[in-house]
Amino acid sequence: MTSPHTCFDALFRPNTIAVFGASTAGRGFANDFIQATLKLGFTGEIYPIHPNATEIEGLKAYPTLDATPSPIDYAFIGIGARHIPAILAAANGRVKFAQVISSGFGEMADGGKALEAELVRAAHAGGMRLLGPNCLGTYSPGGRISYDRGTDGIVGPVGIISQSGGLTRDLLRRGGRRGIRYSAVLSMGNCADLSPSDMLEHFLDDPGTTVIGMYLEHIRDGRRFFEILRAAKARKPVVVLKGGRTQEGSRAAVSHTGALAGDDRMWTALARQTGSILVDTLEQMLDQLLILQHLTPNADKPTHSIALFGNGGGTGVLATDLFARNGLSVPRASDRTFATLKAMELPPGTSLDNPYDTPSGTLKVEDGLVAETLLREIVENESLDAMVVHINMPQFLNPNDRDRDVFGNLVRAAIRVREESVGKTHFVLVLRSDGEPEIEARKFEERNRALEMGVPVFDELPNAAVALAGLRDYEHYLNRRRGGT
Amino acid sequence: MADIDAQLREAQRSGRTALPEATAKAVLSAYGIAVPRSTTIAAPDDAGDSIADLQPPFAAKLVSPEATHKSDVGGVRIDLATPQAVRNACQEIADSAAAHSIALEGFLVEEMAPPGTEVVIGGIIDDCFGPAIMFGLGGIFVELLEDVSFRICPIDEIDAREMIGEIRAAALLKGARGRPPVSEAAIVQALLSLGGENGLFLAHAELIREIDINPLIVSPTGAVAADARIILTERQATDD
Repeated sequence: MTSPHTCFDALFRPNTIAVFGASTAGRGFANDFIQATLKLGFTGEIYPIHPNATEIEGLKAYPTLDATPSPIDYAFIGIGARHIPAILAAANGRVKFAQVISSGFGEMADGGKALEAELVRAAHAGGMRLLGPNCLGTYSPGGRISYDRGTDGIVGPVGIISQSGGLTRDLLRRGGRRGIRYSAVLSMGNCADLSPSDMLEHFLDDPGTTVIGMYLEHIRDGRRFFEILRAAKARKPVVVLKGGRTQEGSRAAVSHTGALAGDDRMWTALARQTGSILVDTLEQMLDQLLILQHLTPNADKPTHSIALFGNGGGTGVLATDLFARNGLSVPRASDRTFATLKAMELPPGTSLDNPYDTPSGTLKVEDGLVAETLLREIVENESLDAMVVHINMPQFLNPNDRDRDVFGNLVRAAIRVREESVGKTHFVLVLRSDGEPEIEARKFEERNRALEMGVPVFDELPNAAVALAGLRDYEHYLNRRRGGT
Repeated sequence: MADIDAQLREAQRSGRTALPEATAKAVLSAYGIAVPRSTTIAAPDDAGDSIADLQPPFAAKLVSPEATHKSDVGGVRIDLATPQAVRNACQEIADSAAAHSIALEGFLVEEMAPPGTEVVIGGIIDDCFGPAIMFGLGGIFVELLEDVSFRICPIDEIDAREMIGEIRAAALLKGARGRPPVSEAAIVQALLSLGGENGLFLAHAELIREIDINPLIVSPTGAVAADARIILTERQATDD
C-alpha cells in the first residue's frame, strides 16, 4: 500500500465500479447501490457483473470481472458468501477495494469464521483491500457514490465509521435532515481486513473531514486504536458511540484492580486521555456531530457560562437545572445588563435576569425585532461562552399572526447577533415544535436557514445542553494539553 | 530494566503465580516507588539482631508461595512495638498458616509506613487496550463504592492528575474533615512509576498480568507502598 491518503482515493472517489449481485428484477442491495449512485450523478463507469444478463439498471453488464473494459477502483459485492473468495482471489490486481455486503461470514456460528479468514486471504491474493463483510456500503458525496437512496449528496465535514450498517442509515437520513453533512459514511461490518483504526487514520489525515464520528462494537486492534487517537492529540474532534459497554469482563480477575476493570471504564479512560467525546445514544451522537460541525471549539476559554433566552418560564428554569447538572453555569445578569433591559420598559412578565424569560408577548414587540436589541445587549455586556436562544414555535405561528412573521424575525435576529459575536460567543438555537405538520414544515425551513448561517439548531434544550457539555469537554482537553499544564 | 525482567522470568519459570511480597516491593522500589525498610526471617526467634536496623513500630507478614490474600488467613500483624512482640506475632502467623494448611516460607518484618491516607494503585491487562492502571481510595471506597478511575498506559502527568481528581472522594485527599492534605505529587509520581512511558507496567507487560498496590499510604510529604501484589502472566507452553 502507498500512503493512506492517495491509497483511499480509489475508495472514496472511484472512476470505475464493479457491482456483483444486481439483477434485472431491480431489487436488492446491489440494485439500490447502482440506483442511489446514479441518482447522485456519478460520472465514472459502473460495470454490473452478471453470469447471463446483458443489461442491468440500464448499464451494460459483464459476465466476469476480467471482462470489464478497465480495472476496478471499487467493487460492491452482494452475492452468496461462499462464491466470493474465488472471485476475489482471481482478480489479479485489477481491483483496488472490494466491499463485501453479504452476510454469512464471521458473524455466523457454523464455519463463518473460517470462510471470513478465507475471504481475507483471497482479497489479498487478488491484490485488493477489503471492507466488510456483512455491511451496507460506502457513502461518499464527493465521489458521488451511495448505497442509500435517501441521501442528499451534499458534501460536508463529518466522516463516519460504523460497525453497524443500520445505524449508518439513521445517521444519513435523520442526521441529514438535522443538517449534518458528510465527507463520507463507511459501513464496515465485521472489519475482517480494513479496520476502524485504518479509517480513523484516513479521516484524521483527510483535509475534507473536520469532525469524525464512530459507532463501534468490537475493536480488534485496541492498542493501535488508542495510539492513533493519542498521537492525534484531538486535532479533530472524534465522537464515539460504543455499543456493549455494560458487558462484564470476559476473564476472571485475581486482583482488586482486575475485578473493577470493565469495558465502560476503559472507554471512559480512552475518551479522557485522547479528548474523544463518548456519547450514549444515537440522538446524542447526532447532536454532538451537529454542534461540532458548526461551532469552532474555543481552546482558550472552554465553554462554561451560558445565557438562556426565550419564551417559556418553566422551560428556562428546567433548562437551568439541566445545564448545571452538566457542569455548565447560567450566571445572574450583571447590574448593567439588568438596568439596560429595565430601561427598555418591556411588557410585564419579562425576566431581566438569566435565564432571560421573554414571554411571547415580549418577543412580539416590533414584530420580533426587539429580540435583536435584547440579544445584542446581553452578548455585549455579559461575559458569555454560549448564548442559547429557545423559541416555542406555536406561540408565534397561530392564525392571528398570519400578517406578520414574528418567528422568522426571531430566527433572523439570532443569526445577525451571532454574526457580530463570532469567535467570542457560541450561538445555539433551539426550535421547539409541538409536532403539528405545519409547524414542523416551518421548523425545517428555518432550521436550514440557520444552519446555512452557521447556527446549529436543536429540537429541545436538553439536547443543546448535552451537546454543549461535550463541546466543553473537548475544549477543556485542548486547553489542558496545549500548555502541558 | 534487565535485572527486573530476569527476576520476573525466574519467578514465572519456578511456577509462581505471583511474586513474593518482598520481591514485588523490590521491583516497585527499582521503579521509584517507596517501600518500607524490611527484612525476611526464617523463624520467629530470628526477630532479634536481624531486625535491629529497623525502626519500630513493625509489621510482620506471612511469606508463602501460595497467592492468597494474607490478611484473610491471619497472615498480617501490625503495630508491633518490640522485637519480642514481633517474635510473638510471627508465632501466631505460623500457627494460623498451619491451621489454614498454607505453606510457610518465613516472615517479612517491615517498618510501618508513616500514618497517612490509604490509596490503591493497580494495573491490569485489558482485553482490548492492553496495560491499564487504576487509582482509588483504600478500604470501602474501592471495595464497596467502586470509586476508582482508570487510564490506558502510558499515562502522562496530566492523566495522573486527572485520575486523582476524577474520583468522587477526591476531596478527602485535599484535607477534608480536619485531616492534613496528602502529597498529590507523591501519588502522581507513583502512578507514573507504574503506568508512565518508562514505567514498570509497560516495561514488563508481557510478564505481568495484574498489579495491586493496596494500600499505598500517602502522607503530607510522601507515599509508601505498604502492601503490593504482582500477579504473573501464566507461562506459555513454548516459553522455556
